Amino acid sequence: MSPTVRQRSKRMILDSIGVGLVGSTTPVFDIALRYCRLYSSVAVSSVYGKPGVKLSPTLAAFTNGVATHSMDFDDTWHPATHPSGAILPALLAASQMLPPNTKPNGLDFLLAFNVGLEVQGRLMHFSTEAHDIPKRFHPPSVVGTLGSAAATAKLLSLSSAQCCHALGIAASLAGAPMANAATQAKPLHVGNATRLGLEAALLAGRGMEANPLILDDIPGCSGFSAFYSVYQPKPLSAPGEHHEFLLEKQDIAFKRFPAHLGMHWVVDAALSVRNLFINYAGSFSPSLIRTIMLKIPVSKYINRPFPSSEHQARHSFQFNACAALLDGEVGLGSFSESSIHRQELRELLDKVVVEHPEDNVANFDKMYGEVALLLHSGDVLTGKCDTFYGHWRKPLSKESLLKKFRSNASHVLPEEKIEAIITLVDNLENLSDSSQLACTSGAPTTSLQEKFLHQQHIPNT
Amino acid sequence: MDFDDTWHPATHPSGAVLPALIALSEAFPQKKKISGLDLLLAFNVGIEVQGRLLHFSREARNIPRRFHPPAVVGTMGSAAACAKLLALDQLECKNALAIAASYAGAPLANAATQIKPLHIGNAAKNGLEAACLALQGLQGNKQILDMESGMGAFYTDYNPQTLPTLQSYPWLLDQQDVAIKRFPAHLATHWVADAASSVRRKLVESSESLLPIDKIEKVILKVPEVKYVNRPSPASEHEARHSFQFVACSALLDGSMSVQSFSSENIDRPALRELLCKTQLEHPPDNTPSFDSLYCQVSVTLRDSSTISDRCTTFYGHWRKPLEKEDLEKKFQSNVLNILPTESMEGIIETVYNLEKVEDCSVLSTFLSGQSASTSREAALPLSVPANSYVLFTKSMQNSGQTLA
Repeated sequence: MSPTVRQRSKRMILDSIGVGLVGSTTPVFDIALRYCRLYSSVAVSSVYGKPGVKLSPTLAAFTNGVATHSMDFDDTWHPATHPSGAILPALLAASQMLPPNTKPNGLDFLLAFNVGLEVQGRLMHFSTEAHDIPKRFHPPSVVGTLGSAAATAKLLSLSSAQCCHALGIAASLAGAPMANAATQAKPLHVGNATRLGLEAALLAGRGMEANPLILDDIPGCSGFSAFYSVYQPKPLSAPGEHHEFLLEKQDIAFKRFPAHLGMHWVVDAALSVRNLFINYAGSFSPSLIRTIMLKIPVSKYINRPFPSSEHQARHSFQFNACAALLDGEVGLGSFSESSIHRQELRELLDKVVVEHPEDNVANFDKMYGEVALLLHSGDVLTGKCDTFYGHWRKPLSKESLLKKFRSNASHVLPEEKIEAIITLVDNLENLSDSSQLACTSGAPTTSLQEKFLHQQHIPNT
Repeated sequence: MDFDDTWHPATHPSGAVLPALIALSEAFPQKKKISGLDLLLAFNVGIEVQGRLLHFSREARNIPRRFHPPAVVGTMGSAAACAKLLALDQLECKNALAIAASYAGAPLANAATQIKPLHIGNAAKNGLEAACLALQGLQGNKQILDMESGMGAFYTDYNPQTLPTLQSYPWLLDQQDVAIKRFPAHLATHWVADAASSVRRKLVESSESLLPIDKIEKVILKVPEVKYVNRPSPASEHEARHSFQFVACSALLDGSMSVQSFSSENIDRPALRELLCKTQLEHPPDNTPSFDSLYCQVSVTLRDSSTISDRCTTFYGHWRKPLEKEDLEKKFQSNVLNILPTESMEGIIETVYNLEKVEDCSVLSTFLSGQSASTSREAALPLSVPANSYVLFTKSMQNSGQTLA
């Protein structure tokens, strides 16, 4: 560092300390400090799969959000986002935070959850860009954060002005670029969305104020529009008695295996052509295959010929097609280190060629997957999938959904707990204390914590 | 309060970095001391990274319109600075930056609201978090600075370049100083304040005299077009700090601006409101919205049709006209006056001026907590550092069975 650099930077350090100190006399500082002391130090919220572990509400939400998206196994909506992971952890954490006599019941919880979903959907409908597979910002980090703020604000019964500010604050906490998809950092997007939305609602509950027009499109000074190149907000009709939730018209897709949604089309196509091939050749014989042709939409972050990590493998059309061809199914185990680096799989990957037909749009409502096996003999076998099983056009049956849940939960929970959760959720509207849902894996709060909760955690309405 | 420094290309560099470094330095176990030089170097790394990233976009040279720069580059700077202080290896540093990118970005529309300060708070916090996650082994996209879908997401014209070699590395701060504010408001208002004060001196004989508002027909401000600082009638302190009109009228009324100019009594003064009604903005095409080239002209037209004007191209505190040492210290002292004892105040000044020679920069924290110099030299710090803060700095050992200390 030259003398100039030293001198200048020391001046900066001095000035920065000074303005920070005088800044500690401001109301915004009071709110931030109170928030940090109150909500960060009391470990009252449960963590998925870790009975006995409790964290502060925002960190519990964060951790659980990360868990939800860690394997890319969570739900996907249209327009594209992962809606539930961005809101459920915040609601669970918040429900445990509230004092015993004000615990939200199951219906409140379910309603708050749906508010969070609805807000995400409505925001995405303000941008035509949002209808396609994203390229710039990862949607959960954009709309998910606001959805979490809305859901939490609803659960905490904030006033309408406070709800408005919660959304405004959340906008300043939103936004993560796509480039971290297919890396270990991607799950943080959902973790942060749910955590920061909760934070925004808590801050708003404490009196913090933001720009009430943040969702409007004001040229020259971007609000929420900062995250889109085309943003056209429309006024929404006030929710009367017959408000129709977007979820009514547009269902969600549930994944059958832990990989990016786009993979599900090629896997179903690959399984279909595999069957044809077995009928043709008697067994799956890779040596008969000259080329594997994939017809997929254009989307850079899921086009990976030779993924080298689990995260990359979950975001690779090529890998998922080949795993399906080789094994006859794709599941949790398909993405282990040993599975990814298998010689036979690598050999198949070598044969893959990718095409982007013009009619195959990068959009979860319209795309298709096609897998063609070009054999040495000259014969061509093709499998095509327009709608995979689990897509909103072909939803998972109740049995399939429960099978997925039991299989996932059995990794960490005993059978009674698993069945208890299934029963709780099935009867959610009739539950009197929704924090039971969060507690099913943890120990009940001690009386000391309960006392603290009672004194400190009621937001200023 | 919008009182912190501003750089060119535009961001508030120090606030995003220093709090993270100070917090981190207090979390180190007692036997692992951080020297003043370590702190100074890490600070400069954090500043440099911000500057370099801003230079990758032409859009960044102008006053922002979409994302608030501290939320974008500030988060990256904080991650870099913390990674430096934590002595992360090269791979971990890359991951720290990659992770930080996923925390970056806040839209500009929350400027002039109470939430704007959180942009800097979160930049500092999130950068620190990113560095700590990297230390724990978390990995992100190591090409994130190169990609349109990485840092490029925040700009329409992102064009990264290779940096100069480390052999004779030129620090940006060497070529381009920061601006330090004299009063707590958006930087663009500082030109207006200087021009308005100068016009006032021409209007009244002595500084004690009241401004003859009745004789004023109109006040015209020639300013660059910056929507979020154009507020004819601000209603809150946050709005007032982002209003050309408010600062011009306050400076005309009072002769100069200070922290008190933004109190609610002053914001609501009838005399001020009256003057605001007479104030208009004009945006000459040659007045570009860049902190390096903008100017402000204040013209007061009286009822007798005479006009008194002044133009300010470089305000005192701007990088072209930096604050003198005495004035920088005066600002510091005035800020700290009722918050820390005099001894701490002087201790901080002395420590910062000699930072490279300080052996253990925890003295800075001691002064900040208001303890006296004598107790700070006894350095009774172990009490504030619990044994399991070790956890922060122990990497997860994946292959060995070693548990955290």
